[in-house]
Amino acid sequence: MSRITLDPITRIEGHLRIDVEANGGKVTNAWSSAQMWRGIEVILKGRAPEDAWSYVQRFCGVCTTVHAISSIRAVEHALDVEVPLNAQYIRNIMIAQHSVQDHIVHFYHLSALDWVDIVSALKADPKKTAAIAQSISDWPGNSEKEFKAVQDKLKAFVAGGKLGIFATGYWGHPAMKLSPEVNLMAVAHYLKALDYQRKASQATAILGGKNPHIQNLVVGGVATAINTENIATLNVERLIYLKTLMEETRDFVQKVYYPDLLAIAGAYKDWFKYGAGVTNYMAVPEFPEDTKNTKFQLPGGIVMAGNIAGMRMVKDHRDDYLIKNIKENVTHAWYEGNGTLHPWDGETKPDYTDFKENGKYSWCKAPTLDGKPVQVGPPAQIMAAYAAGNPKVKKLVDGAVSTLGISMKDIHSTMGRLYCRGARAHVMADLALENLDKLIANIGSGDQTYANHTVIPKGEYRGVGFHEAPRGTLSHWIVIKDKKIENYQAVVPSTWNAAPRNDKGEMGPYEASLMGNPIADPSKPLEVLRTIHSFDPCIACAVHTVDPEGAEITKVKVL
Amino acid sequence: MQVLIYGAGNLILSDEGFGVHFVRHLEKHYHIPENVELYDGGTLGIMVHFKFEEADRVILVDVVQAKGEPGDIFRYEREDIMLKNIPVKMSPHQIGLQEMLLISEMRDAPKPDLTFFGIVAQSLDPGDQLTPPLQAGLEKVAAMVVEELDKVGIELKRKEA
Repeated sequence: MSRITLDPITRIEGHLRIDVEANGGKVTNAWSSAQMWRGIEVILKGRAPEDAWSYVQRFCGVCTTVHAISSIRAVEHALDVEVPLNAQYIRNIMIAQHSVQDHIVHFYHLSALDWVDIVSALKADPKKTAAIAQSISDWPGNSEKEFKAVQDKLKAFVAGGKLGIFATGYWGHPAMKLSPEVNLMAVAHYLKALDYQRKASQATAILGGKNPHIQNLVVGGVATAINTENIATLNVERLIYLKTLMEETRDFVQKVYYPDLLAIAGAYKDWFKYGAGVTNYMAVPEFPEDTKNTKFQLPGGIVMAGNIAGMRMVKDHRDDYLIKNIKENVTHAWYEGNGTLHPWDGETKPDYTDFKENGKYSWCKAPTLDGKPVQVGPPAQIMAAYAAGNPKVKKLVDGAVSTLGISMKDIHSTMGRLYCRGARAHVMADLALENLDKLIANIGSGDQTYANHTVIPKGEYRGVGFHEAPRGTLSHWIVIKDKKIENYQAVVPSTWNAAPRNDKGEMGPYEASLMGNPIADPSKPLEVLRTIHSFDPCIACAVHTVDPEGAEITKVKVL
Repeated sequence: MQVLIYGAGNLILSDEGFGVHFVRHLEKHYHIPENVELYDGGTLGIMVHFKFEEADRVILVDVVQAKGEPGDIFRYEREDIMLKNIPVKMSPHQIGLQEMLLISEMRDAPKPDLTFFGIVAQSLDPGDQLTPPLQAGLEKVAAMVVEELDKVGIELKRKEA
């Protein structure tokens, strides 16, 4: 038996430690441990509720927008505030564009190198690469010349010994299976993708005033001034520029990212058999299209034990079942006691004990829905939309299932998770544009309202802000007392997925997803990375101190 | 010449937010010419590669885990980063500054001159205030940035108190 510790494993933020035990080339036990104190809610106490959205954007350096959205919705829910249509559409566009940006970066920059061997791309025939790329997409950038140029550049880097930045890549690993040509295609698109994540980010900034850290929210709407005549506000010229950026990004997602994903998935079909883990899923509906948050463009739902057909709809953000049954347990987390609390009554009292595999071993609490561990993220939303009969999602998923020769139950897997994120990006890119059309039409009809001015009243109020973020269901829970924040808890997607065991000893989704995974070489646990990265791990609120003295921060320890 | 002053960090983990506090400090106390952009980059890493590709001169301000007392300031040039005087994995984000700069090179993007001022932190606990040595560091780094810009003919004048 071997024991492998990867610390940290995260590609974006935070310190995530994964421990696995392997027997006979397979994972037989696993632990997921967040290595950083997550007590940042504490600094919200006593502050003005109307400012919370601005602070919480710093919970995480990457998904700043999502925390702002959840927070403002929590206050609006607590005070029963309506949000004008223009504000809903503007928020929807920012949400959708942020998702597109996040998914592009995840696929190419944070997970592709688990599947793509850069060094192998040196051996590719650029002409054949162009032929493959052109056979799966009419994207104009797929010429032999472009691929040759990338390959020459790579050769120069390798010759100059400069490929060290990708030192964590397991080049030549036996689990790498793409042909040199497909590897070259993926590397070229990896570099190109940066231009499109930037366009998505610019689109968010045009509406949000700034990105990262949007500036345009107020309780009751947005502070984006709309005036089709005035140059300093959101005028026709800005709207047209926004549309151009969003169309270019959509084309990249649908003509490059999605076909690349299908090509990679087709070469790694065995990965539809590994990594399912917890098959209870939850997604909340997203993209409200009325002022009272009762109608949504994408449905939410709860799938238990992998039963997609038996999905229970989540109609809106006031769903009683969700509000009552989301709780957090600390039996295996470094907090006092072993209790289960509702987020409105949530406590953050640290009790560090060192890593005790049968005791407390993570700073992550274990969230539960009705007492059960739940996986959140793109698979949950795609399954809910599929089960609810959303025509676009149905067409995409049915198409992929038939192209790849898989069945719906294969979606519960490492590759299924990557697939669902790509399908979600496809949907998000279209939804952003649809919401822009709706915004323009609504302004055109004469409605220039963008906020319901709201003064926080005296008294005690409780609210929850749900948001279906790129990594999954996010909820911010607020208790307001006499115009101040009395309690604040964020139950974030990565807490659901990176959870340690709960009070019944049930594994969290990361842990469960590793069980039965193959391990070809314990000193190069690429298979562990593939499965964990498929969740897009991002332990919120990380530090990111530069360490010029420490050599390798990431350690792989094999016992 | 377009200059980018990039403040990195997480504002709610006390000294970790130094870079962000720093750009705010400059904005408050100095007249900033039009060709100098102050940028609160948060902890975005690779997602802001384009800011580095667009500028002619970049000054990056962040905390570093170097040997020294809290508030000690270290200065690095692009070569220090590229020639591994700073190791490959500098950041828990894994995709760090060096990866970002190399990816930009691979993309054939322009390579701006880069200076990196790093300050040693005292506390990374939750909180939105700097500790005293880092608070004192704001003006020290500001003076170094003023000198840096002076070399390229840009004057950063202090506002009247």
